[in-house]
Formats: sequence, structure tokens, C-alpha cells
Amino acid sequence: MSSKWENIQKRSFLESEARTRALGLVDPGTFTELAGPRHRISSPHLPLLGEAVEFDDGIVTGVGLIGKKPVFVASQEGRFIGGAVGEVHGAKLANIVRMARKAYDEMLASNPDLPEEKRPAVIISFDTGGVRLHEANAGLLAHAEVMDQFQDCKGKVPIIALIGSRVGCFGGMGFVAAASDVIIMSQFGRLGLTGPEVIEEEMGKDEFDASDRALVYRTTGGRHKYIMGDCNVLVADSIAAFRGALQEVLGKLYAEIAEMSCIGSLEKIQYQLKLVDLCVETAPKDAKDVWKSAGNENPDDLTDMPLDEFLTTVKRLTDRY
Amino acid sequence: MKTKKKWDTRKTDYLERMSGAEPYINNGKVVAAEDTINVLEAVIRLFDRVNIEGNNQKQANFLAEALIKCDTQRIHDLYMVQSAVPLPVHLDMFEVGIAKKLDFAYGGPMGGRVAEAIKNGKLELGAIHTYLELFARYFIDLTPRVSLICAYEGDADGNLYTGFNTEDTPAIVEATKFSQGIVIAQVNKLVDKVTRVDIPGEWVDMVIESPKPFFLEPLFTRDPANITDTQVLMAMMAIKGIYGEYGVKRLNHGIGFNTAAIELILPTYGEELGLKGKICTEFALNPHPTMIPAIESGWVESIHSFGGELGMQKYCEARGDVFFLGPDGTMRSNRAFSQTAGHYACDMFIGGTLQIDKYGNSSTATATRVAGFGGAPNMGCDAKGRRHPSDAWLKCGAEFTSQSEYLGPMPRGKRLVVQMLESFGEKMVPGFVDELDAWQLAKNANLALPPVMIYADDLTHILTEEGIAFMHKCRNLEERMAAIRGVAGFTEVGLAAKSTETKALRDKGIIKTPEDLGIDRQRANRSLLAAKSVRELVDWSDGLYDPPARFRNW
Amino acid sequence: MSKQLHEITFELKAQNPTDFVEDFAHFGVVGSGDMEVIIEQKNLDGAVKVKIVTPVTGYDEVWRRVLERFVNDTGVANASLEINDNNATPVVVSLRLRQALSEVD
Repeated sequence: MSSKWENIQKRSFLESEARTRALGLVDPGTFTELAGPRHRISSPHLPLLGEAVEFDDGIVTGVGLIGKKPVFVASQEGRFIGGAVGEVHGAKLANIVRMARKAYDEMLASNPDLPEEKRPAVIISFDTGGVRLHEANAGLLAHAEVMDQFQDCKGKVPIIALIGSRVGCFGGMGFVAAASDVIIMSQFGRLGLTGPEVIEEEMGKDEFDASDRALVYRTTGGRHKYIMGDCNVLVADSIAAFRGALQEVLGKLYAEIAEMSCIGSLEKIQYQLKLVDLCVETAPKDAKDVWKSAGNENPDDLTDMPLDEFLTTVKRLTDRY
Repeated sequence: MKTKKKWDTRKTDYLERMSGAEPYINNGKVVAAEDTINVLEAVIRLFDRVNIEGNNQKQANFLAEALIKCDTQRIHDLYMVQSAVPLPVHLDMFEVGIAKKLDFAYGGPMGGRVAEAIKNGKLELGAIHTYLELFARYFIDLTPRVSLICAYEGDADGNLYTGFNTEDTPAIVEATKFSQGIVIAQVNKLVDKVTRVDIPGEWVDMVIESPKPFFLEPLFTRDPANITDTQVLMAMMAIKGIYGEYGVKRLNHGIGFNTAAIELILPTYGEELGLKGKICTEFALNPHPTMIPAIESGWVESIHSFGGELGMQKYCEARGDVFFLGPDGTMRSNRAFSQTAGHYACDMFIGGTLQIDKYGNSSTATATRVAGFGGAPNMGCDAKGRRHPSDAWLKCGAEFTSQSEYLGPMPRGKRLVVQMLESFGEKMVPGFVDELDAWQLAKNANLALPPVMIYADDLTHILTEEGIAFMHKCRNLEERMAAIRGVAGFTEVGLAAKSTETKALRDKGIIKTPEDLGIDRQRANRSLLAAKSVRELVDWSDGLYDPPARFRNW
Repeated sequence: MSKQLHEITFELKAQNPTDFVEDFAHFGVVGSGDMEVIIEQKNLDGAVKVKIVTPVTGYDEVWRRVLERFVNDTGVANASLEINDNNATPVVVSLRLRQALSEVD
């Protein structure tokens, strides 16, 4: 078991399936899957449409430990219908967050002095295009439920988003990720609301060419989101790197983690609006124009330089303003 | 009896045509882009044999777009002799009647329209060639009267710099110009002095700066992210069971994910087998981005290229010990020479295909597309004119069981021609078939021959996920068919295999499964790839590889 | 609503059976052209029970052949196999089944 876990650490996060990510992010041997394949809770809707089903409906949920901290994990599988959120998938996601908050309430009720290092946290490894159109009503409802659960967690349980899988994090799940406390990404991660193909379809190829992946990444990718301040930590593409960043964040006090969030108070919202105004003022034609206004003299160099170099040279919008 | 005859009609004709273009030519040989249609109408005549330069990579697309705008009253029924027709405009030419006949090598994405145009009588097809075969005919019976070519730079004297993407240009220009034909070049940039003279100015009649750079297709770029575990398994079998077995040093790889997987496990699996320096040292090959890790790990001594590959220019320039660079420091490709090199100087061709029939003939043709094969058949055949020995060539020849039927005891080598094919493609399309779709295509498009990429008598090895069939070791057709069945998996062809028969072939070493080769299937996964994404290729190249936007995922 | 997922079930017996001793194993992802499988120990008098759920019809016999070969090659016995498929080719199916079994070892 331990050697398998060690093996997983070296693996590319981008290449790893949902279960591998879930296993590798928590301490060795501590992951217990809940509502997993054994329980065979697959979508009741897909068979009616003649669409393939999966025993876990495309999401792995469970609990594990990072140090002394119980972590409630959700990990989406982008290879199953693009990681889309259907009824079961959504219910599993909402419930794992609810369980974390309930665990917090119960633990604190029985021991109000429970040290922070033992208090629960939620981690979500996103790999999704948002709602599953085949079961859209249930999927949308699930989005709302997850958001409700996020609200209930405020002041109690930190929620950490990890984005570095193939599909990225788009659609309604983009909102959900944005409502988390901390976002950890790799350069291969993408975060946005409307997916590139949809923008192209709505606005035309001249406005946004979805086949131009360089363009897609420099408007939604990890490097861009890091410059913009939407992503808190940018890491290398390995399970170990994501886990390392996760350990560091979870090592902080709740108040410190909540401070890293982009939203959650009037001041934070006003700051966000100010950043938007600043971006609008520069009238950017391309993401690189914004990078420049953040203080990067040669924005062209930022896309291709090795990650380490990027992290030491880049100027972030949030540093400047 | 000696006839009285004029011996300079070509020259007279040339001068007459050029005089029509004269008013538009200024400052040496320069024609303004807006006069392009005028000069084309001046120098092209009805029924002319015309070449529009283009292959599976670069395209003289500006001149093609101008030709189709010419007055169809003045210019029609042209006979197009050109490597490829992969752009819509190439087929539009037949729709509007500017062109009537075609001899070519590669249709690529327009394969469906070629078939359609033949069917509705808009296009008369001469033949589908290989590149080398078509270039050969430029000098015999298909010499172009007018050639429309493309280059990176041109000057007022007509000197051209075709650089990295020299490709077909020398062959076309030489055939055209030395038969008193007319050569018109579109260039990305008019310059005072070209970076390097790839085509001497005397051989070029007009130079036009095109509003946009010529079109380039990154045809040889394969994103490692799309390589499957099965492809890794097959790559392991290729390296251990064929490359290592024969000590193949000089070779060509086809386009596709199968060979990309091989390239990407050389620095991992190949290294582990201790094969570095013993295999894969010299290539006739385009600058495949997936070769970067093997090159950087010191596997490769030399690569000569048919063409360039978008984004690889700087990398190639920085690896002058491997690629062919001019005195100016930039690479020059040359399709005619590289095809010749691949044909005569390589011990092996290995590549993927779409279909193999029960006899071992393979083709990428489908029933409704005349796609052609480009250069693959030149690589994928035994070069009958070859006389120099090499270990791999001799070993394969020695194993060629039926050779003595023709040669008696006379020893002769044989080139390894390997086709890789998964028994089923996506959506359960069988790779092994009773009859190639090429037969249906021949019927649909009135072709004299079903287009076969590699004939069974040239094929030495078939490699599937089931194993390797050593075709040349078989005694006769019956045994070859049994060998094919034995590696054809669960296709109809494969289901006809008898287990006793397959077992006997394994005992004889005619079929080798991964287990026979000592390959652990569990290791056959993507973790063996030296680079799993385009980004990792960039990292391997120290940032020298600049992939096209569509391949960027960061 | 006429489309439905297709279900294929059959039983096989290995020529050289060796009991499957793991209580439960799961492997794979139902991506496009891929599949997942659950293998469970079951007392089936040496047989292997197979259930496949797939959107694809017309390949029942191919499935049987692929599974037959897997069972004979590996000797797996006293086990139930449940597969969710999404257009996996026999090539992929064979690979995934072997990977699933080695995951257990």
C-alpha cells in the first residue's frame, strides 16, 4: 500500500484519474471511499438515453487524513462525460461538504478546545465542464446545494480547490471553485465560466478561437489565473506538488486561510471590483496586455519559461494593486 | 530521313508568353500582388500542364487563390501536375473548370472531394503517385509548363530562400525551368539580399510578395497527451522485437501516434534495454517534435528531412550536428533527396496504416476518399536497386524464406517494412479485413488500380497489440495468411485463426507475442513516455521548440 | 426514449481454474472508448459470471470471445465481473481486464 502511495506521488496530476488523485493527496493508507464503486450508485438518467454509466457517477468522495486533520475529499473524473455534474455526482459532492461541516459541528460541540490542526477541511479536485446536460435540472440544483454547503462552512471549515486536470473547471463549477477559500492550480489547469467552445459559438471565431489553445490557456490557464490573483498557489504538475501546497495551506489557522479567499467580505468584493476596473482601464486586447499592466515588462516570455523561473519573475496584479 | 523541324519552339513559346507579362514586371523580376491575376492570364494557356506547389506541409496558396480568379474564358481545362491537393481551392479549380486533369500524390483532407469530382466528371484523374514517382515524371512525361511556387524570401533578381521548408521546390523548378517553362514564386518577404540562395534567380521568372505568409500544416506534430497505453505496448514490442532484434540503425518513421510512441520511449525503455547507440542512429525523417527527447538524450546522430515542421525551426538550427544546416545556419529540407535517402539508404520503414487485408496488403484508402499516400510507399518497399549491405538488411534477407525460389543460393538483403495496426480502431472499426476498401474506392472513382499503400510482397512485419507476425519468414501465401490471422485479434479475420496453427507459428518464431518477447504488459502505460505533453517537449528542448498555438496546453 | 443501455450476461469456465481470492476489486474509467470493471469473489462452482452494460449493440459474440480468452489465459475462477463500457475496443477491453487483475496481485 505504502509503495503504491509513494508511486502515486511522482505521477503527473494532469494524467491521474480521480481515484488516484484522492488517494495520493491524503496521507498514505488513510483514504476511505464513501459511496464508491462498491455501492454502484450510478446515474438513473443516463441509461434511459442509452448513455454509458459509471459505478461512481464520475466522482470519488471519501475521507482521509493530512497530518492530524480529517479531510473530506471530492475528486472529479473528467474522462467520464467531461466530469459533468449530474444528480448522483452532484449529491455526492454536496454531501461530502455537508459531512465535513457536520463533523466540525459535532467535534467542536464535544470539545470546544479542539486544536485547529485537528479540525476538518474540504478539498475538491475539479475536473469538470459543469452541469451534465443529460440531467440538467438535477445537475443545476446540485450546483446550488453545493454553494449552500459552502456558505454553511464559512467560519468553520476551509474549502480548498485543486485544478490541474484535463478538463479544467468550467461552467457552474467555475463559480463553485471561485467560492472556495483557496485555489491551487498547475499551469495545465484551466478555470473559467463559459467554456472556450461555447464562447466561440456565441461570439464567433474572430472574438475567440477555441482551437487556438495558446489563447485558451492564456485566458483561462494556471499561469494567467496566478497573475490575476484568482489562483493562490501555482504548483508543478505532480500529485506530490499539489499535496505539498495543500499541506502548507492546511497548516495555517482558519482565519489565515479565509483571508486568502477572493470573496467573503465587503472589502474583498470592493477590491475585486477595483481589479476589474483596472483591467477595463487598460482596454486589453489580449491577456498579455493585462500581464503587462501588472508590471511584467515582457509578457511574451511568461508563457514558455520554465515554471520555477516564472514563479520567481512574474509580477501579479494583486501585488501591484 | 532527317526532317526539317524547328528545334526551339519551347523557347519561342516561352518568350511569347513572357512578353504578355512584361508590362507587370518591374524592378527586375518583381510583380505586385495585385497584378498576379494579370500575369497568370498572360502566361498560362488552355490545356497547359501547371504545377501549384504544395505537399502535405507547405502550400503556394496565394497563387492558387489567384489562379482560380482568372478568366475561365481564357484559362480552362488545365492539366494539374502537383504533389498534393489538400486545400479547398485545389478542388474548386476543377469545379469551376479552370482545371480538368490531375496527376498527384496526396489528397489529404480533400480526398473525399477528389472522389466526388471524379465521379461527377469534373476531374479526370491520371494516377495517384508517390512523391518520388511524381517528381520522376516531371522529368519524363509530366513536365510542367508553368509552375507556381512559394518561398520565405525572394529578391529582385529572382533568388529565393526556401530554407527550412525547401521541400519540393528544387525538383519542381528544375523540371520546369530547364524545359523552358515559366516559374512564378510567391514569397513571404521581398528582400534586398536573401538569407541563402536556395533557388538561383536565373531559374525564376517572377517574384510576388504575398499579402500573407504561405500556408503551413504541422502535419508531423503528434501531441504525446493522446498516446494510449496500447500504443505504448506496441512501441515496446517494436523496440524489443524488431529494432533490437535486427539492430536497425538507419530508418524512417511514418506519421502517427504509433511511431510517436516509439520515439518517446527510446530514452526510457530503449535505454533500459541497452540499445542506445545500437539502434536509431540515422533517420530520413521530418523534424518530429516527439523526437526531441531521444535527440536530447544522445540517441540520434543524423536526421535528413523531407520538409520542415512548424515550430521546430529554432530547435533544428541549434542542433547542427544532427540536422542539415546551410552555411547561413538555417536548415534545408529537400523532399526529393530525403525520399531517395529513405528509399535507398534506410534499413527500415515503420508506420501505421488503417487496413490490412487477409493477404497482407495495406492501405489508408477508404471507399469514398482518394487520399493518396504521399511518400509512404517510397519508404515502405524494398529498394530493388540497393546493393550495399548492412547488418539489419542482411539479417532480414537471410530470413526471407522464399527468396531462394528466385535467386537460388545467391544471398541478398531485404529491407524491413513494418506496418503497425491495432486489430480494432475507434468505434470498433476492424483493422484486418477480407477485402480492402481500396477495391470499393477503385470502383467508385474509376481508378485503374485499388490504391495500395504497401503491397504484401514488400511487407516484412505486421505489429499488432497481439504480437508481431514475421511475414517474410513464411514459406508461402497460405502460411502468411495464417500468420496474419494469428495477430488479427478479435476481428473476423482473427477469429478464423486456429489455435493449433497459431501455436505452431509461435514455435517457428513467425509469430511473437509480448510474452514470447519477454515484455511485461503491466509496464505498458503512459508513464514510460519520456514526455507526456507538448509542454514537456518544450522543456526537453530548452525552450527552443515553439509549438503552434493549437498544441499548447499551458 | 427508445434507446436503452444494452446488457449482456453469460457464464464462463476456465480450463485451468485458479480461485479469485480478493473480496472486491475495481479498475478503470468509463471514458470514451474505455471501460471499468468490478471483480468480486463469488462461490460459483468454479465459474465466472460476466455482466456487461454498454451503449453498443451487435457485439455480444465478440464480448464472449474476449472474456473467454481472458478467463482461459488467466485461469480466473469463482468470480463475478461487472463491466461498464463506453465503446471500448477488444484491444482496450483485454488490456483493462489484465490491468484490473494485476492491480489485485
